[in-house]
Amino acid sequence: MNGSAIERIVIVGGGTAGWMTAAALAHRLQGLPVSITLVESEEIGTVGVGEATVPHIRFFNARLGIDEADFMRRTSATFKLGIEFRNWGRKGDSYIHPFGVFGEEIEGVAFHHLWARFARAGGRDAVEAFSLPVLAARMDRFAHPDSDPESLLSTYSYAYQFDAGLYAAYLRAYAEARGVRRVEGRITAALQHAETGFVDSVVLESGERVAGELFVDCSGFRGLLIEQALHAGYEDWSHWLPCDRAVAVPCRSEAALSPYTRATALDAGWAWRIPLQHRVGNGHVYCSSHISDEAARDALLGQIEGEPIAEPRLLRFTTGRRRKQWDRNVVAIGLAAGFLEPLESTSIHLIQLAIGRLLDHWPDRDWDPFCAREYNRLMDLEYERVRDFLILHYHATERDDTPFWRQVRTMAVPESLAHRLETFRKRGVVVNYRDGMFLDASWIAVYLGQRVIPEAGDPRSEALSDAGLMLRLAAMRDDYARMAAQLPTQAAFLARIGANAS
Amino acid sequence: MPADAPLATITIAGGGFAGWLAASLLARALPDLAISLVEVPGPDRSLGVAAAADVLLPDDLPLLGEAGWNGPDLLRGGRAGFVLGTALSGWRADGATAFMPYGEIGAPLGPIPFHQLVSTMRRRGQPVNMANYALGALAAQAGRFAPPPPGDETVHAALTFGLSIDTARLAEMLRGDALERGVRLAGTWHGEAVQRGDGGVQRLVLADGTSLAADLVIDASGPASPLSGARDDWSPWFPFDRVASARRTSEAPAPPYVHCDAHHAGWQSFAPLADGVGELFVFSSADAPGAPAAEPFAPGCQQAAWTGNVVRIGGAAAQHDPVAGLQLHLALADVLRLIALFPAACEHPAEAAEYNRQWREKTECAFDTALLRLACSGALGAVWDRLRARALPDRAAYRRDLYAANGRVVLHDGEVLEEAGWTALFDALCVQPRKGDALSDALPSAKITAHFAAIRQAMIAAVGRMPPYQALMAQVAA
Ligand SMILES: Cc1cc2nc3c(=O)[nH]c(=O)nc-3n(C[C@H](O)[C@H](O)[C@H](O)COP(=O)(O)OP(=O)(O)OC[C@H]3O[C@@H](n4cnc5c(N)ncnc54)[C@H](O)[C@@H]3O)c2cc1C
Repeated sequence: MNGSAIERIVIVGGGTAGWMTAAALAHRLQGLPVSITLVESEEIGTVGVGEATVPHIRFFNARLGIDEADFMRRTSATFKLGIEFRNWGRKGDSYIHPFGVFGEEIEGVAFHHLWARFARAGGRDAVEAFSLPVLAARMDRFAHPDSDPESLLSTYSYAYQFDAGLYAAYLRAYAEARGVRRVEGRITAALQHAETGFVDSVVLESGERVAGELFVDCSGFRGLLIEQALHAGYEDWSHWLPCDRAVAVPCRSEAALSPYTRATALDAGWAWRIPLQHRVGNGHVYCSSHISDEAARDALLGQIEGEPIAEPRLLRFTTGRRRKQWDRNVVAIGLAAGFLEPLESTSIHLIQLAIGRLLDHWPDRDWDPFCAREYNRLMDLEYERVRDFLILHYHATERDDTPFWRQVRTMAVPESLAHRLETFRKRGVVVNYRDGMFLDASWIAVYLGQRVIPEAGDPRSEALSDAGLMLRLAAMRDDYARMAAQLPTQAAFLARIGANAS
Repeated sequence: MPADAPLATITIAGGGFAGWLAASLLARALPDLAISLVEVPGPDRSLGVAAAADVLLPDDLPLLGEAGWNGPDLLRGGRAGFVLGTALSGWRADGATAFMPYGEIGAPLGPIPFHQLVSTMRRRGQPVNMANYALGALAAQAGRFAPPPPGDETVHAALTFGLSIDTARLAEMLRGDALERGVRLAGTWHGEAVQRGDGGVQRLVLADGTSLAADLVIDASGPASPLSGARDDWSPWFPFDRVASARRTSEAPAPPYVHCDAHHAGWQSFAPLADGVGELFVFSSADAPGAPAAEPFAPGCQQAAWTGNVVRIGGAAAQHDPVAGLQLHLALADVLRLIALFPAACEHPAEAAEYNRQWREKTECAFDTALLRLACSGALGAVWDRLRARALPDRAAYRRDLYAANGRVVLHDGEVLEEAGWTALFDALCVQPRKGDALSDALPSAKITAHFAAIRQAMIAAVGRMPPYQALMAQVAA
């Protein structure tokens, strides 16, 4: 250990971000002379939502050595194969963005070109007929993927839907068992070094002071340290993503246990449905300049499937990101770092990514500015790329039925997204980058699902005859359908692996 | 020509390596296209500078394989030698030689990258030579080599190699292939063209007075192309302006690596071929007054590779200082990118825009690679001092400064080197992180040393099982 190593880490906040950070640091720094303290306030509480994830969460859990069945039992979790989008391209449309690929390439030509040619030649099968996870999701079926690349079961991945409160509690037990000290109490002040502005300690209502060298700000939207103390600044993206409120309510589950999240576009926003084992999480994300809180709540209550089991909760937010997610000795993670609406369940992944990057750029008390600089560069890229992907959902629509949809359909989008859309629309090319969590298959799912069909394709796809192409695709489609029908229902699968919540 | 008319005819300007490469790969990928090629008199500068030998990087080989050119074809047709990395002499201030291997170096210890472990040990006063933990470097040193058999899962599978090819010989083979596949040799072109308003070309006027129209023109005529558009000049960064190349034959194949030697006015490289060596001699004319005859060259690039219906590839798009040995790799990347984005119609602004974006990314990364290779060196001589005294452009400076701060490698979209390649480059040139990875620094030395010993032992054993390189090459020749 070098002489200026960090010895005291303080995590401010005990929501999903705080406990994920605490668990991961406790695991990775095990055996080192470092103390980790987490301060949280029951009185303030957590945001209490955030229950749908993306597949990367499995690697986070696996790194910590968490057993899947145990974790699913204790967080009342279900499997997730993707997200169903209803009413996005047009009212009445439905498509699923799966964690998996569509079809197989033929002689080096990507499947979406073949499908587009097939559709232009009069082929009737929707693109989802060529995706095992979509077919399985529509039938409420699930099984673990297979690593054998020859198997159709290797064409998808999966994530979870879980109870956020139970997950935080699960990680808290994990972290505390590994030496993390939890301090209950409301922080009233941050004491900073007079010259540098570095945070020296936080002061609780009780008068207790918690001092440290590295502070991880997981205090949620307020950004207690990163903004209130350090004034890192906030870049507002609401001109592209104008939804600024949400109302959330859990309800009893009345339908089969579906292995996917649903996002239904409404008049001035959209509603989520996240099925857990013991209940369904619902919420309505909306734009307050287009709909009142009351109407938004009524719209939500009007479309949930079962009896509400709590009072609806209202949440306010501004989409955007902190100008510096790492400033001096404070690293903001979770809602304190920025907010992107949960349309693609990205926030928990961004937390996970931030923790990984922090460990990659682990500082010492000499605070080499390059650690923060590179960390911020990488996190900025991730946020921008998720942002573009979310804007795509709003912008690639034909909806004209409300002022909200007219606004997002006709607004100017970031140059990076405009180029992507144009390139796909004209020639079916998926523009993608090294950094960014969404791979080509995700972009293709949303483009095609929202009726952005390439006007022209890869000239190499013309090498196959129409009849030959029809035959190959029919065979592929039959394979997917046969395989999907063989999978067990999710309920049966949960029971089989012993993951039923008590 | 209606804008949405299907794109059916192509003319390739330049019958050098890049032109025939494009002709062969396009004819294979799109057999329905009508492809013509016009030759340009003079030496082949289609890749940038005329070199007797050029290098295909390890990642190029599977790409060429997919396009229909397998290893055995390339070995035979290009009289190729295997390349496991680059040996440097004269590049370091401490006078030591160094080896930059292809492929991974060492192995991580849990989540901690190998080079961070090295940096920890060095800061504890233990000298560590990274090349001692790279399979390619050990194989090169032992004079042993065999490509890993397909499906191999032993240590041997990590052996990463490129090929050094005789550029003129391989161009001959590509030419034969293209002509066999119906590419038409349309005559000789001296540079006369009827331009369109949009930066494109209506038709080329040939030496015999006939003219040739095409929906798409691929300019493979090198840096002095008559179709050149607005150009960025890189000479403020790259002081070397003269190049000479020669091919030497030898009885025995040269060892399986490129040797690059820095001297007071520039540098010289030796690339192994099956029956000799390709030499390249690059220097600054101002610093070598009595130097033998050499060709001038001027690093720089087009502001856009694709304008109107003209796509510039290889040296016609960018002329890099050849120090990083990338010019063949970049030309291949251009051709493959063109095939992946091949337009469906005569008007194709979307394809051109995406092509230019990707090309620029790659060009900038290659620029940084060559520049840092030169600017981080400790070579002796006035020209090197001038090079080092100049402030680097922001992006390149950030790469070096970040690595020097904590050993982190910046990776952009168009990289030609991945993390291991950048680490090898910086390390070979003595750029060392001031600080390490805190997690690595927390490990006891004994644990790291044991990890190092285990890696080295496994690698030495794997190299011991490889045949002598000479024996392998004799087998290839037979
Ligand atoms: C409507 C909505 C839906 C969402 N859906 C999803 C989803 O489906 N998937 C997904 O990945 N993400 C989703 N998210 C995001 C996700 O909820 C958050 O990323 C995640 O919960 C992390 O929140 P957090 O821990 O940063 O903040 P919080 O949960 O707000 O936690 C903040 C913590 O800081 C503490 N704190 C604050 N101030 C003080 C103080 N002064 N003193 C002491 N303690 C203090 C609080 O007590 C609390 O413990 C959603 C977000 C919203 C708003």
